[in-house]
Amino acid sequence: MAETIDYLQFILAPQALNGLSLGVAVVLMALGLTIIFGLLDVINMAHGEFYAMGAFLALSLAGLGVGFWALLVLVPLLMIPIGWAAERWLIQRVFHSRDRHILTLLLTFGLGMILEDVLKLAYGPNTMRPETPIAGGTEILGMFLPNYRLFLIGFGLALIAAVWVVVFRTRLGAMVRAAAFDKDMASSLGVPVRRVYAGTFAFGVALAGLSGVLLAPIYSVFPTMGRDFILMAFTVVIVGGMGSIQGAVVAGLLLTQVQAISSLYISPVWSDPLVFGIMVLVLMVRPRGLFGRLGNA
Amino acid sequence: MLTIENLHAHYGLSHVLQGVSLHGGPGEVVGLFGRNGVGKTTILKTIAGWVPATSGSVRLDGADLAGRTPDAIARLGLGLVPEDRRIFPGLSVEENLRLGLLQCPARSRRENEAAIGRAFARFPRLAERRHQMGTTLSGGEQQMLAMARVMVGTAKLLLIDEPTEGLAPMIVDEIFAIIGDLKRAGLTILLVEQNIHRALDVADRFYAVERGRVTLEGDAASPKDRARLMETVSV
Repeated sequence: MAETIDYLQFILAPQALNGLSLGVAVVLMALGLTIIFGLLDVINMAHGEFYAMGAFLALSLAGLGVGFWALLVLVPLLMIPIGWAAERWLIQRVFHSRDRHILTLLLTFGLGMILEDVLKLAYGPNTMRPETPIAGGTEILGMFLPNYRLFLIGFGLALIAAVWVVVFRTRLGAMVRAAAFDKDMASSLGVPVRRVYAGTFAFGVALAGLSGVLLAPIYSVFPTMGRDFILMAFTVVIVGGMGSIQGAVVAGLLLTQVQAISSLYISPVWSDPLVFGIMVLVLMVRPRGLFGRLGNA
Repeated sequence: MLTIENLHAHYGLSHVLQGVSLHGGPGEVVGLFGRNGVGKTTILKTIAGWVPATSGSVRLDGADLAGRTPDAIARLGLGLVPEDRRIFPGLSVEENLRLGLLQCPARSRRENEAAIGRAFARFPRLAERRHQMGTTLSGGEQQMLAMARVMVGTAKLLLIDEPTEGLAPMIVDEIFAIIGDLKRAGLTILLVEQNIHRALDVADRFYAVERGRVTLEGDAASPKDRARLMETVSV
């Protein structure tokens, strides 16, 4: 009995909490991806590079003496015009063509490669590790937990809740959901659809940048840092249902738990195949994912 | 209020509107009749900015609508009640209704709330179901919602496409009563309707559309014009 409690307390629970801190960051990434897909029908292949960009922006600004708390506000704010411009000047060029899905996929894929190389040219290919902004740890129920991870969990969950409120409880959110389902009708009621598109894309990009800021102190900063992470985010979006907000949250927290807990029992090398295996299984059994698309009931 | 001159429009290679001219004066209800597929809905979609005009002009209250986006046209005072009503799923009745307020972003919050209050007073069924999803309403209620959605805004011109299609006779009466109210409130209405006799009772004038062209213009009160319309639209 005592052994079981020890096991829960010292092995399982800390691992679950580690998984949760990664999970909220994955959810933030996946939320941006899934909202962009739900509204614009665009798969943003550059999302991982926007995440890396956020991390590097944070690094540079921190070098100029900007504090961590200011970075949490400043980096997303700086990412908004970047996302806005990418939507207006790049995506809109091919948005109305018949091959929209392929063209926007290739376009954002190319954009991601360019961004990655720009980061390599500007910062070099090496890994950088920012200092932990919140040092120390806290003992909870006999477990020692790094304060930064606790902060990440709390902040991430609050942010996810805020996104949910904006999308489902505000007039702006109603405009986004209406435009996602029927852009012509929304437009004829006065919804400024083009601005809603650009704004939503920018919002998703800002969320990716913010995830970059939040995860930099844990996973280090390097130009290709978006690659591993984006695979997980895409898996989450597919399992949760492309374009579903609830789906991104549930699948994001679930899959990162699977990854964290399974690595206790099997070699961590196998935890990724396990997660992707779940994705394949979901695609076979329920191809539209666990939840419905944004704008649909 | 509405002036359309020599309007042409294409869907791909198909020449759907081949030189449509018509007008609607302030406070006038204008019927648009014709068989299926002759371009009545396309005329409405071209006015609303969904389908680009290939040539010709559409003017709303003097403003040329060419090249404007549907939301800009809506803010100029166009209200659209489309075929199939187009209620947004995943949005509650009230959320659907409130989207109609986006037509007038400059109006004060108090006036907006008063407009919502009037709409719910006029349609108690919608008020009772305000928190329900819009698409859980019956067909008739969804039509009411689509009408209420343009009534909370500041539309001067309404385009109403087949509002009674598939509805029970009692609801049809109610829909025509609403159109009568809107007419008395001074709105200009372009009405596409298969139920020609009912539509002529509320209309002032009408046009018959055949193969992308207006082939007849008439006075809704004139028995002679009505008879000619029936010849035109009957098979």
